Amino acid sequence: MRLITTSSGSYPRIGATPELHLLRQTITQRDSGKKTDADVAAAEDALTRAAIAEQISSGLDLVTDGQIRWYDPISHLAGKLENVSVNGLLRFFDTNFYLRQPVVHGPVVWARPVLRPEYEMASKASAKPVKPVLTGAYTLARHSIIEYPPYQKEFARLVLDYNEAIVKEVSELAAAGATVIQIDEPSILKEPSHADWDLLEETWNKLSAAKGKARLVLATYFGDATPVLHHLLSMPADVVALDFTYNPRLVDQVADSKPAKPLGFGLLDGRNTKLDDPAAVLSALDRMLPKIRASECYLNPSSGLEYLPRDRALAKLKHLAGIRNRIN
Amino acid sequence: MDRTKLKKLGLNLPLLPTTTVGSFPKPPNLMRLRADFAKGKITAEALKKEEENATAFWMETQESLGIDVVVDGEQYRGDMVAYFAEKMGGFEIGDLVRSYGNRYYHKPIIVGEIEWPGPMTVDWWKFASKLTARPVKGMLTGPYTMMDWAFNEFYPDRHSACLALAREIRKEVVALLEAGAKIVQVDEPAISVRVEELPWVIEAMHLVTDGLPAYFLTHICYGAFEYVYPKVLEMPVDNIDLDMSLTASRRLPLMQANPFSKDISYGVVDVHSHEVEDAATVRDRLRRALEVLEPEQIWVDPDCGLKTRSVDEAIEKMRVVVEATREFRSELVRNARPV
Repeated sequence: MRLITTSSGSYPRIGATPELHLLRQTITQRDSGKKTDADVAAAEDALTRAAIAEQISSGLDLVTDGQIRWYDPISHLAGKLENVSVNGLLRFFDTNFYLRQPVVHGPVVWARPVLRPEYEMASKASAKPVKPVLTGAYTLARHSIIEYPPYQKEFARLVLDYNEAIVKEVSELAAAGATVIQIDEPSILKEPSHADWDLLEETWNKLSAAKGKARLVLATYFGDATPVLHHLLSMPADVVALDFTYNPRLVDQVADSKPAKPLGFGLLDGRNTKLDDPAAVLSALDRMLPKIRASECYLNPSSGLEYLPRDRALAKLKHLAGIRNRIN
Repeated sequence: MDRTKLKKLGLNLPLLPTTTVGSFPKPPNLMRLRADFAKGKITAEALKKEEENATAFWMETQESLGIDVVVDGEQYRGDMVAYFAEKMGGFEIGDLVRSYGNRYYHKPIIVGEIEWPGPMTVDWWKFASKLTARPVKGMLTGPYTMMDWAFNEFYPDRHSACLALAREIRKEVVALLEAGAKIVQVDEPAISVRVEELPWVIEAMHLVTDGLPAYFLTHICYGAFEYVYPKVLEMPVDNIDLDMSLTASRRLPLMQANPFSKDISYGVVDVHSHEVEDAATVRDRLRRALEVLEPEQIWVDPDCGLKTRSVDEAIEKMRVVVEATREFRSELVRNARPV
């Protein structure tokens, strides 16, 4: 079994040194009229290169662009769709990070590629493959304020229309050469008993049809996956990435279910500075890996890393690569 | 909901008292000096002098605007968690993490036993109180939010970290009351992050406030209020301060279904927008509030601390809160509403 080390999405866009304050300073100066949008874009490029360089130096096999350009996981995509505006702040799950909530005024329509240019820039800057990470339609819809009556009457219709936009993004990314594309659906775990699995399967069938040769990862986090594990594993995704930090029983449940597809093991807590006990991580992997009927799996933090200070995020990735090296 | 406790404490407030949530923006000169201090270019005494100047500026501003219950403006704090973590034993200050958009804060790390170091806010409360005859709120961050907004590398679980913090924060409340404070706000914006932990938030607040002679508020904002309501009414405080300007359409029906049994500090202006609302907008928001709440239970304020606005924006936002509230208060009296 080959274990591929990867990031889960975001990476800190600030750090202790002056050069790592570039983006923050440039946005502040742009807002006061002293810099331009082009200056901000250049600063985003610089911080994206820094995020990629740190991931590679940590020993990761598959990196992300760190989502450096993202205002938050919801409005970066939703806010660029037609008939969607951006409203006030809302806490993102149980983090102390806040997003801008989309307001849906009319039919959601994809307007232009959002992630393809970001992916292309990151790919050129990286010596390792880059995994684009998107937020899925269900999570976008769950975080939206719905003011369009047809969607108020039928929530599923909003999910499907958001999904059409995500399908377009996936198609663009696959055409640009992405080999692994991750779709985040943390909202599934927020109220798992309310999840509409038929609807989710329909969205994933459409995503799968658009992915070309890319491998699609369904990622869930910020919640306990044990009540819905069998549903998650039966979704038409190529890989299922799980957050193991909410319920220790998930390890044995995964082993018992003998998954037939690769998994992403979110065994290192992406939300706490404390470095995870390597013996505990290795023990969990020892219990699960022999039961998985796939030739390779992924080892990753349980979530994106922008919830950690940069020095701790880097330490976490190095720790992750170190643990992998004791296995492969 | 009634004024008995306030009157017992010697506080005679008007109908719909105006207040603010806590923080004000730091004037540019103070920002410069904070940066200079961080680089070791000036002394702590020089920085403190400018913090006092800025505090005096905001006290005078609140006075001239006519805010009924004032705050010291937190000119000496970086952010609401790091300020206390820098002073209390058991914390280490981590590097920056993002709060939202282009806003970052130093997230503390619990690395040892939490310990109250002696008064942390009392001198500033006294400094501010000398500059006004109006009641000055004591302003603290609550134990659950302190725990949730820090990394924990020491306590075995979140619950024990939260209760350890509560026991130490109570000591700061006692120190404020000994100095003369009668109104103390203990902020818990993280309250709704994990609904299953709400009983701990309430348990911890009991440890902070039980048996102490003060009017207590707690500020809650930008969370999934629908998940904690109406259970949140069990918090042992007199007044819950909420961001309502953009959320009233979702929250007022909840309060209609389950009556809001405490006083409420009702946010009527958005603190994350540069645009200053006009008085008519604020009056409309208050009018909607009165469809569900009683006038005697409402205090009026911005949605949250104003520190993310410019000095001018913050002043204008407060001005519209006060002016619209005064007009609305007169309207209520003219219409002979029960006041």
